[in-house]
Amino acid sequence: MSRPVYLDYAATTPVDPRVAAAMANCLAVNGEFGNPASASHDYGEAASALIETARTQVAARVGAIPQEVVWTSGATEADNLAIFGVAHYYRDQGRHIVTARTEHRAVLDPCRELERRGWRVTYLSPDSSGVIDASQVAGALQADTVLVSVMHVNNEIGTIQDIAAIARVCAAHGGAKLHVDAAQSVGKCTVDFAAAGAALMSLSAHKVYGPKGVGALLVSRRGVQLSALQFGGGQERGLRSGTLATHQAVGMGLAFELANDAEVDAQRLSALRERLWRGLAALGGAVRNGRAEHCVPQLLNVSFEGVEGESLLADVRPHIAVSTGAACSSISGEPSYVLRALGHDERLSESSLRFGFGRFTSESDIDRAIAAVAQAVLRLRSLSGSCSTAI
Amino acid sequence: MQYSDLTLRYFRTASAVGELSGPGVFRGAAGSRAQGAWVQFDLAVSAGVIQAARFRAFGCPHTIAVSAWVAEHAAGGAALAALPESVAELSGRFAVPTEKRGRLLIIEDAWLAAMTGALPQSG
Repeated sequence: MSRPVYLDYAATTPVDPRVAAAMANCLAVNGEFGNPASASHDYGEAASALIETARTQVAARVGAIPQEVVWTSGATEADNLAIFGVAHYYRDQGRHIVTARTEHRAVLDPCRELERRGWRVTYLSPDSSGVIDASQVAGALQADTVLVSVMHVNNEIGTIQDIAAIARVCAAHGGAKLHVDAAQSVGKCTVDFAAAGAALMSLSAHKVYGPKGVGALLVSRRGVQLSALQFGGGQERGLRSGTLATHQAVGMGLAFELANDAEVDAQRLSALRERLWRGLAALGGAVRNGRAEHCVPQLLNVSFEGVEGESLLADVRPHIAVSTGAACSSISGEPSYVLRALGHDERLSESSLRFGFGRFTSESDIDRAIAAVAQAVLRLRSLSGSCSTAI
Repeated sequence: MQYSDLTLRYFRTASAVGELSGPGVFRGAAGSRAQGAWVQFDLAVSAGVIQAARFRAFGCPHTIAVSAWVAEHAAGGAALAALPESVAELSGRFAVPTEKRGRLLIIEDAWLAAMTGALPQSG
């Protein structure tokens, strides 16, 4: 039996073979395995040079300058460094933060922790398609707001936020630093750190055919300061101590350089997404979460009326690999808080599937997915009978 | 969520799905979509023996699998208030996680609701 069709590219992507080869070159005795902080010999210098090349590749891909790239273990660490780093550094200027209910937990959980420590957090509610209007941010800013954290591309429904408009609101305020979680953005839509006007931006490698375990925080040279969260070595200008993982940085750098290919793929992926949506809509009782014109082409999120979510996922599992939402939410089994924030009731939020497409997705994969979901939805509706809509 | 082989088998190949009609058929239901589980049993009872059973269910794979198993194993048994197996036995048989035991009580309530009509009323 063939493996299920992989349609969970929003959770993670396979590493591009070219990336894997470049990473492997940094590991063994014949490769560049040296400690990049070892300036006293050629091994260290060679590794350091690779790190800086990767830093340049990442910066070039997202409209930043290399000196703005701080390596981290992933977007979660970058989000934590941004939120706690700003909150701590500017604690005497203010203790108010603005974010959205639809943020990833890597942003929401640090905000909740800061609430426990005495900060105040305003959680904005998006419209029914997941969009946060800049005027909402403006209305939430207070005199002592020090941070606004809004994601660029939502990880569950793919909605793209107008970051530049929100940045203008923050700039007008003066004291509010804008942090953008852009873990899902690279390779899916244009990312231009300088043009967006954000102070901080979190990036991830494994969403874009790079390795897991590496990411970066972009820290604007235009006047934002951070307190470090870890100490010991002073790497990354003291913001993130610890020996840099050469192979991980090299993998992220090359993955970001190759990500240009993914943008070229947008038209093909949009066609696949609409093909899938047409197939699922034909079932009836299918609700598209998020509006196509506001979403990246690599994501489709659909709820199915009259179907219980856990059973739906179990039924399609032999045929397709999808999720009901964020990978971390899959672990908890909780209904999607993102969909509930859009105004969906809990039952509809529970019966959603997130389809993520990527470089290796084909039309036949989409057709297999339509067939698998159709079979499951019709069977589960049949099991509950006509009563299911009335109970 | 991990499921036992038995749970997956009954979830994916659930038989005894549907409704019964006619004299001697008793229907009971419990739960709701809001609760995350709804179960209905139709039991055809004659001379104190369950002749046939059918079910419908909305819920997780455990809810569907256990309901299917109960309906399949009901036929031929005595019409009693108790399920063919106790909730504790069913829980063990299908490796139902602790947090889902409430779903089994909904199945039991649906069964008892159907049996309420089938059993002779005392007093």
